[in-house]
Amino acid sequence: MQEKIELAITVLVLVSIIVSASTLWYGMSIIGEVSNLTSNVADLTSTMVDLTDELSSLAETVGASLEKLENITDRLKAIEDQLAPKPTITVIGPWSGAEREALMPVLYEFERRTGINVRYRIYRAEDLATLLPAQFDAGKTPGDLIFMWAWYVKDLGPDGDALNVTDLVDEADFAPGAFDPVKVDGTLYGGAYTGKVKPGFWYRESFFEENNLTEPETWPEFEELLYNISLIPSIVNPIATGDGVGWPISDIVDHVLIANGSTQLQRDLIAGNVNWTSTQVKNIFNDTLVSWLKAGYFSEPIEWTTALDLWWGGDYGLYFMGSWITGMVDDPGDLGVFSLPGTEGLVFCADYCFIPTYTEYPDEAKELFKFLISEDGQAIQVGEGGHIATNVHVALEDYPPVDRGVAELMEGMEALLDLDDTIGGEFQTTFWDQLQYLWVHPEELDAVLAAIQEKVP
Amino acid sequence: MFVIFPVLQTLYISFLSPSGEFVGLENYYDVLGSKDIVNLEGFPKYPPLGAMIHNLIWIAIHLPLSLFAGLALAIILRDVKGASVVKSVIFLGMVTPLIVGGIMLRFTFDGQVGILNGFLNFLGFGELARTWTAYPETALFAEVFGGVWLWTGFSMILYSAGLATIPKDYYEAAKIDGASPFRTFFRITLPLLKPVTLVIVTMTVLWELKIFDLVYIVNKVGGPGKSTTVLALEMWSRFVYRYYNEAAVIATFLTLLTLVVAVGMTRYMVKK
Repeated sequence: MQEKIELAITVLVLVSIIVSASTLWYGMSIIGEVSNLTSNVADLTSTMVDLTDELSSLAETVGASLEKLENITDRLKAIEDQLAPKPTITVIGPWSGAEREALMPVLYEFERRTGINVRYRIYRAEDLATLLPAQFDAGKTPGDLIFMWAWYVKDLGPDGDALNVTDLVDEADFAPGAFDPVKVDGTLYGGAYTGKVKPGFWYRESFFEENNLTEPETWPEFEELLYNISLIPSIVNPIATGDGVGWPISDIVDHVLIANGSTQLQRDLIAGNVNWTSTQVKNIFNDTLVSWLKAGYFSEPIEWTTALDLWWGGDYGLYFMGSWITGMVDDPGDLGVFSLPGTEGLVFCADYCFIPTYTEYPDEAKELFKFLISEDGQAIQVGEGGHIATNVHVALEDYPPVDRGVAELMEGMEALLDLDDTIGGEFQTTFWDQLQYLWVHPEELDAVLAAIQEKVP
Repeated sequence: MFVIFPVLQTLYISFLSPSGEFVGLENYYDVLGSKDIVNLEGFPKYPPLGAMIHNLIWIAIHLPLSLFAGLALAIILRDVKGASVVKSVIFLGMVTPLIVGGIMLRFTFDGQVGILNGFLNFLGFGELARTWTAYPETALFAEVFGGVWLWTGFSMILYSAGLATIPKDYYEAAKIDGASPFRTFFRITLPLLKPVTLVIVTMTVLWELKIFDLVYIVNKVGGPGKSTTVLALEMWSRFVYRYYNEAAVIATFLTLLTLVVAVGMTRYMVKK
């Protein structure tokens, strides 16, 4: 029994030894395996990191290549755009002759910068007024950007005939109120291009020197000046009255009302707050214009370019005209100008343009619109003479010397809207017509003022 | 379609308010009763007398003058050698576009460079020199007389053609019978020219009723003080200022006037 127990124990011990040895051996082999596996995982991780680095580097390379490709595509598109035929847009404006020549450099520069072709056609506002209604009714337009009366643009906008250009304009870049004439309830339907100042009476400095005349500072001095000029033998009348359709007579009246009345009076007349038949207005006319007309200080109305030549030639001493006169005389350096005594505001008359809704090329027309009102566009125009910028960023150095003088005249003066241009409509033609009448029949003042008042809208 | 439809449309909108409501004859009362159309306040006086009266003045002065000037020239130049050259020169006024004619008139009557004033100065009447179209007393008449110069070629050519159709035998017979040139003219020439005269009168009256371009060019707004305005110019200005209904009233009225003249003359000629 004892032997059996010993044998069993021996066997058990042997089995235990064998099992332990086997377990140890197996454990050792597992550890070896695990160690190998760990080593393999480490290798794999390292390989993965390398691979990730390579992939990242590859991604960067691909990204850069894609960017380059995109640039190339853009360039190709730009080249394609340049090579593709650009549309020709039509600009309609009233300027012909020397005034047209002054506008063309602006349009040429736009063409150069954008590749968009521009065709310029001449139509006066009066002619456009007969042409546009029928065209617009038919959903057509004779031009893609049109210069027109501000009051007309203001009418067209709400009717849906002019594009809303509010987003194209930052009014802070322009003279205060420059866009008011084309604004309806905060929406802009047109743009203010350059404008002209109507500073007062122009004279030839050489003529004043020859005749010992000086610019007047007071009303008695002005009347004395007129009298002294009238005594010069070669003079037909002291003041040449330029006439077109009743303008520029209306400009003279506007200036006299501002100087002898006030800037507020002019604004009140525009707003319809003061009657033309009021004692205040009647007295101003009587004390100044009617009295000067009766004294023979004004010539009879003469076609305005003829009047300009005659005045320049010495038949007349003074000539009332806008600042564009500087581009119309042989020697602008000989020009002098003064405002009537007491003038606190000058009429600044911007040229307004709009884009008809029916244009086939709205994008191109908007491009031109933006260029025309921009500092660059206006700087070119003022450089040609006779224009004053509405864009406040145009530097004084951009003006020719004589226009710089005109621009400086505006300093300290209130910029006012043109009276009849702002009211517009039937009032404007009646105003012109009645003033022509007053010029040859000053004794008919009451009838003239009544006729004007009748047409106040 | 291109005539009837616009005419009917114009007639239709003449009865509407600007907002499109039917207002009957209200527009007609307003427009035709306004001083712009008839202004006889303070008559007799110099123009402005209203557009319709100005049209009548055109007819009263321009028609007889251009008619008789044309007839006189046709008779004077009838058997003259080289008359065709002279007639061509006179007829130039007729073929000249009225826009150009208007500009020429402006300069003809200009105080500074006008040929009329040059002529007056030459004759020693320099104190009369002025811009004739700038004064209401003379502007309308300056345009009317200018119109005679432009229109005479028309009546002269038609009368010349009419004279050519009168057989010479009539004049020879009258001469043998001892008729004086005066009697020959009134008994032979004038009666035989009656159809031509009717054509000239009709065409001239229609032209005078429709006159626009000449007046517009000489003074864009019919001034000074509306002293030269005419019906067509009033229609145009209302159209420009977007008073379409008022413009339609004048257009309708003008159409009726021209229709009365044209139909009357046509019926008379057909009857004859």
